[in-house]
Amino acid sequence: MAADAPPPADLTGYPMFTRRYLPHYGMVLPFLLLFAVFFLYPIGSGLFYSFHDWNAATDPQFVGLKNYQDILGSRDFERAMGNLVFYIVMTVPLGIVVALGLALLVDSFTGAWSNFFRSAFFLPVILPAFLAATIWRWMYAPNFGLVNMVLGWFGYPSVNFLNDTDTMIYALIVVDIWVSAGFNMVILLAGLKGIPADLYEAARLDGASRLQQVRHVTIPMLAPVLFFVVTYGFISALQVFDVPWLLTGSSFTSYGGRRGALLFPVMDMMGRGFGSVRFGQAAAYGFILTAIIVLFTAAMFALRAWRAPK
Amino acid sequence: MRNPPHPPDTVNRVASMSIFKTSTACLALLGSVSAAPLMAQTLEYWVYSDFAQGEALALQQEFVTEFEASHPGVKINISGKGDDDLTAGQIAGAASGTLPDVFMNGLAVGAQLVEVGALANIHDQWMAMPQAYRDQFDKEAIASCSPAPDEMYCLPYTGFGEIMFRNLTVLEEAGIDTSVPPATWDEWYAQMQKVKEAGKFAMPDQTQVFNSVASTYAIVGDLDGWGIDFDSKTTRIQPETYAKVLQLFVDMAPLNSGSSRNDQGTKDLFITNQLAFHVVGPWVDPTYKQAAADSGLKYDFVLVPGMTEGQHGGIKSYEILGVAPGENQQIAWEFAAYVAEKEQMVRWASLLSRYNGNAASMADASVAELPLIARSVEAVKYAIDVMPPYFVGAYPNCYRSIVTDNAAAVADGDMTPEEGAEELVAELNDCLAE
Repeated sequence: MAADAPPPADLTGYPMFTRRYLPHYGMVLPFLLLFAVFFLYPIGSGLFYSFHDWNAATDPQFVGLKNYQDILGSRDFERAMGNLVFYIVMTVPLGIVVALGLALLVDSFTGAWSNFFRSAFFLPVILPAFLAATIWRWMYAPNFGLVNMVLGWFGYPSVNFLNDTDTMIYALIVVDIWVSAGFNMVILLAGLKGIPADLYEAARLDGASRLQQVRHVTIPMLAPVLFFVVTYGFISALQVFDVPWLLTGSSFTSYGGRRGALLFPVMDMMGRGFGSVRFGQAAAYGFILTAIIVLFTAAMFALRAWRAPK
Repeated sequence: MRNPPHPPDTVNRVASMSIFKTSTACLALLGSVSAAPLMAQTLEYWVYSDFAQGEALALQQEFVTEFEASHPGVKINISGKGDDDLTAGQIAGAASGTLPDVFMNGLAVGAQLVEVGALANIHDQWMAMPQAYRDQFDKEAIASCSPAPDEMYCLPYTGFGEIMFRNLTVLEEAGIDTSVPPATWDEWYAQMQKVKEAGKFAMPDQTQVFNSVASTYAIVGDLDGWGIDFDSKTTRIQPETYAKVLQLFVDMAPLNSGSSRNDQGTKDLFITNQLAFHVVGPWVDPTYKQAAADSGLKYDFVLVPGMTEGQHGGIKSYEILGVAPGENQQIAWEFAAYVAEKEQMVRWASLLSRYNGNAASMADASVAELPLIARSVEAVKYAIDVMPPYFVGAYPNCYRSIVTDNAAAVADGDMTPEEGAEELVAELNDCLAE
């Protein structure tokens, strides 16, 4: 209904604002109710519990900032954040390079081949995480795994990818890129399709090589899409959980693999909640992570605004 | 010093039959009294996921059908859950008032479940049972469920005493006489070195899982030096003893497969004659038995050697049956008591060849001679608890990760065993102080 549409007849005795907007609010009310119940209330109660010692069964006891202090001062938090920073620094750029490469490859095909490659590269995205992790656990298995078999053909000794603290995080990064590249590829491919062909034609007429076309036409024209992919990649990476959890065979009481080499913040949060039954600490952990994600996303937007042509 | 083994089993079969008849009559009486009001009641019964499939599920359903038949108006729904789902569901259920009425979980999780109010204190109901019924159970297992004189939070169900699976082909290829198992750590370690010289792996990496660290501790130390003193919030681990344990990890480091005892890769190595020893619970036996039938795997299982002859290592623990507090508590207790009763546990043990906490069922002639059960019963006599004392306090997660990380660090050569033991105790006490 348009904003200037005549108000319903039965609201004629009400103030102008009510007469004009009440139907609109009525229409969004179901969403607002659901949003409040399933989104705002959990956030509010989570914030409340983050300042309390609470085990989900007994009355919460107010402890002020103690939960936050305990987390920030803990050995596992330090280790989890260290792993996370390294993981993000490696995964996000590599993932985007791989996804862009795949998108350019698929874009260079037409017809059935294009559909085939697009579907093939997207397949890991729709694979359940437990299945993907199980496949990779087998591939990484010492002595018998596919990767070690291939290494063996070239005379290399067996590598214990998922238990050697020097290789564990790289093993995770490979799996993560394998899983996420298809999703990013589809987004970038949509962006590639939107680049006018005459720009490439003009570049070719100017003597630009294929690489120069990518550098001076494709990437600048993809900037808004790349911004989305980078931001989304960062936010996803900050919340990394399921793949390292499954690769290390973690449980609520034991997680992160050998010497915590694949311990990440969300795993630590889950362990504090369901392993140690400290839901107040788990809630505080969630808010620390949320703050990091919000700050990071804001920084990304600020950077983009600063770099945008005035 | 480790407690000496119990004397050989002297359970009189006639007496055990009489206990069985008495207890069955008492249970029937108990059931008929509770069924008198004929109120419709539905119980939710959560079991481990592997107990909710195939033959195990069929037998569980048989127990349910029998109980429902003797308790008109009672309906029981079985749900299978993975380990983490059981714990998360029970904790969330305690918070939201939607607990299952009867459920399984691990003994080690018991303190958390008591803390959140998921487990009812069944002491009064237990004491109301006939003496003959109570006498069926392993006394140490019952003690594990009873942290104080008037408190009891579980019935012991299936359990394990750790045993050592030996790949006989690997040992023979290494020139080892397999007719006599190693009697001491020194003999065992000498065999491990021969296995390595033959180009095979001796053991999984014992530093990776808390239970395998506990298992290695059990070779050297006793229960007094393991676990937490919750009164003083300090670890019971003594640096002098633990340095000897850490030395074992150092010794085994060049000989191990790099995979944990729980990894599928470890079982694959064992099945394909690449791994000599696998110290673990009896649950791997079905896999190895299948491999023996399919590919001719030659294996056996023996007690874990200790440091000296006559001593044995290994850990033990139980899966438990718990009852939720609430209006269904009495009928839920009756069902739990029925499932854990000797006759049912004999059928359960016969089906799965698994040790359980009902000592009378373990002594029953139909299961006592099953090799895996016989060995398990023997192993439990020597084994130490994994996370004692149970139901007193919850082990914080930092405790477990510090123990495994420390063992790995020493095995990797980052510290000497003596330094590692000192650091471990200090870090564990810091963790407990938090």
